[in-house]
Amino acid sequence: MTDKEKKGGLSNNPIVKKIGGQRLVVIFVIVALFAFFCAKSPTFRQYSTILNLLDTSYYVTYMAIGVTFALITGGNDLSVGTGMVCYSLIGGYVVTKLGLPIGVGILLTVLCGVLMGILNGFLVAVMELPAFIATLCTMMIARGMGSICTKSQSINWPQASSAQGWFRSLFKITVGETKYPLGFLWVIILVIVMSIILTKTKPGRYIIAIGSNKEATRLSGVNVIKWHMLAYIICGFFTGLAGLAYGATFQTVAPGTGAGLELDAICAAIIGGTSMTGGSGSIIGTLLGVFIMSLLKTGLPFIGLQANWQQIITGIVLLVAVLIDVIRSKQAKRA
Amino acid sequence: MKKKVLSALLSVAMVATLLVGCGGSSAPAAESAPAEEAAPAEEAAAEEAPAAAEGGFHFELVSKGFQHQFWQAVLQGAQEKADELGDTMNFVGPNSESDIADQVQMFNNAINANPDAIGLAALDTSALLDAISAAQAAGIPIVGFDSGVPDAPEGAVLANAATNNYNAGILAAEETFKLIEDKLEAGAVIGVLSQDAVSQSVGDRGLGFIDKMAELVSGKGLTVDVTGNEKFVNETKATVTAGGDVTIDVKVPAQVTAELSQTDCLNLLNTPGIICVYGSNEHSAVAIVSANETVGTVGKDVVGIGFDAGATLKGAVRDGVLAGAVTQAPFAMGAATVELLHKAAMGESIADVDTGCTWYTADNMDEPAIAVNLYD
Repeated sequence: MTDKEKKGGLSNNPIVKKIGGQRLVVIFVIVALFAFFCAKSPTFRQYSTILNLLDTSYYVTYMAIGVTFALITGGNDLSVGTGMVCYSLIGGYVVTKLGLPIGVGILLTVLCGVLMGILNGFLVAVMELPAFIATLCTMMIARGMGSICTKSQSINWPQASSAQGWFRSLFKITVGETKYPLGFLWVIILVIVMSIILTKTKPGRYIIAIGSNKEATRLSGVNVIKWHMLAYIICGFFTGLAGLAYGATFQTVAPGTGAGLELDAICAAIIGGTSMTGGSGSIIGTLLGVFIMSLLKTGLPFIGLQANWQQIITGIVLLVAVLIDVIRSKQAKRA
Repeated sequence: MKKKVLSALLSVAMVATLLVGCGGSSAPAAESAPAEEAAPAEEAAAEEAPAAAEGGFHFELVSKGFQHQFWQAVLQGAQEKADELGDTMNFVGPNSESDIADQVQMFNNAINANPDAIGLAALDTSALLDAISAAQAAGIPIVGFDSGVPDAPEGAVLANAATNNYNAGILAAEETFKLIEDKLEAGAVIGVLSQDAVSQSVGDRGLGFIDKMAELVSGKGLTVDVTGNEKFVNETKATVTAGGDVTIDVKVPAQVTAELSQTDCLNLLNTPGIICVYGSNEHSAVAIVSANETVGTVGKDVVGIGFDAGATLKGAVRDGVLAGAVTQAPFAMGAATVELLHKAAMGESIADVDTGCTWYTADNMDEPAIAVNLYD
């Protein structure tokens, strides 16, 4: 209690500083990794690799932005991985199997995410279930639901060449012969918007306050249930967006998959400086965290590492990145 | 108060589930028949009831899951054969191919249903060993299908209805060789994408391809090097020359995700000298198609070869992105499995059946004999 109060009370200065410090470390790691991979592998230093890196990062970014909100409240959302696949399956199903327009599929994908966000928010904020348990359950529900809704068949979102394929240009647009990562523009815009919402607006400040000290926030007259729920709804909304990005990038979505992807998102948020106990975090940090994850996933195969070593190296790099942060914040506390 | 909220929540959840269920079942109106038969475990109970209606047998089939549409075609073939023979069957499978414990549970349930015979496509034989001996003790014959039950104890599995995946890999290599023969020269690279290095079926398809390709390339007077994943490098029977003229590079992702396989493929496509990429199952072949969306060289400078079917793959073969692909015969596999089960239940002696595979291209994929195996 006292610890948390201190944290909440000091939130203006040292924590912001801490996040800034974490960001610097993360940026340094990104640059170092990038330089390393470029130096080691000529096939890595190509435009198509960068394009692929961005392409495969969109869905993680959206999940991670969403899950950052859940983490900041002191909770978690384990349903984002299977949820994303589930919404993408449902959205793709109505387009490819029921023949509805692609716009309906897109809206439905995001809507499913929002609905799941409402359910998660209800369970955590209203029913006061531990977020870990509540979202673990909805994670399983989402996994099964995706399979049931599509009759356990994989779903193929429309190909880029088909009439319905225009939505994929939202993520990767071809002008002349060159392809541009248009999806990155949306990522940047959304990161800026969500950063402002989190740090400069009432809902964002309340969400942070709930994570710092829910009871104190409630006692100061804030409707904590409402804002707590909102965090999960935002998370659901972004998971819906992730579902779209996933369908656009990989075309084929297989039911029963997605478990484990939430860990990529959560990990990215933590690397980016979001506290696992809630009360602090930043969207830009999360974006940087996603880049570390994506760089490792893309780069390590390029330097010819065997599959098992890739996992070990990924584990070590992430460990070091978080360790540096822990040591830094300990030093900051002493000082 | 809380109880009321909870019961309200539960009711809403139930109604929502019902709605989803109903919405789902109205779907097949717009879709073909297989979708309707697809609904997996839940319908099992209903199917079990009319057992022995015509004095027929009842079989339990434990598959690897319904995640890949391949299994829908197996189910369809099995169901039609069972109907034809007047038998009943219950076809189940876990949510994904990594749910080994779920499959063990399903296999135990199958034994408890006391069927006349059990069909099994094992995810992990060692996890199933106890259950297999329980089935033996209960006197229930086991027939393997798909990748069967590798390394099963002696006598536990009476016969397998399976694609010989090594031969399927050879077929892919032979057909690919015809397409790349002119491009073979010192410095050429042939890429192989394998989903994993554990599963026997995917492993055999890769090795069959590598061995045959190396043999064919050597026939042109060029030496061959095999690089990349350790399993394939160690297990290939090809004559390998370090730093040889032609390199066969095998990529295996650290985890089976679309993202990592796509990255592996991109890596291959960016390699100087690349003339061909072979994806040894639906997952890997789809990775070629999606990586090509970034690079755009497959179907032009690079020959793309797939395996299995599915809408994305079929589309890519039709559009010429993939020059061709090998398909197994899942429909025939399902039928052959039930036939073996029927014979086993009758007490006849049975032997392994190779359910075969076919090379398909944009030109022949609409022929009925091939189209039946090309699931969406």
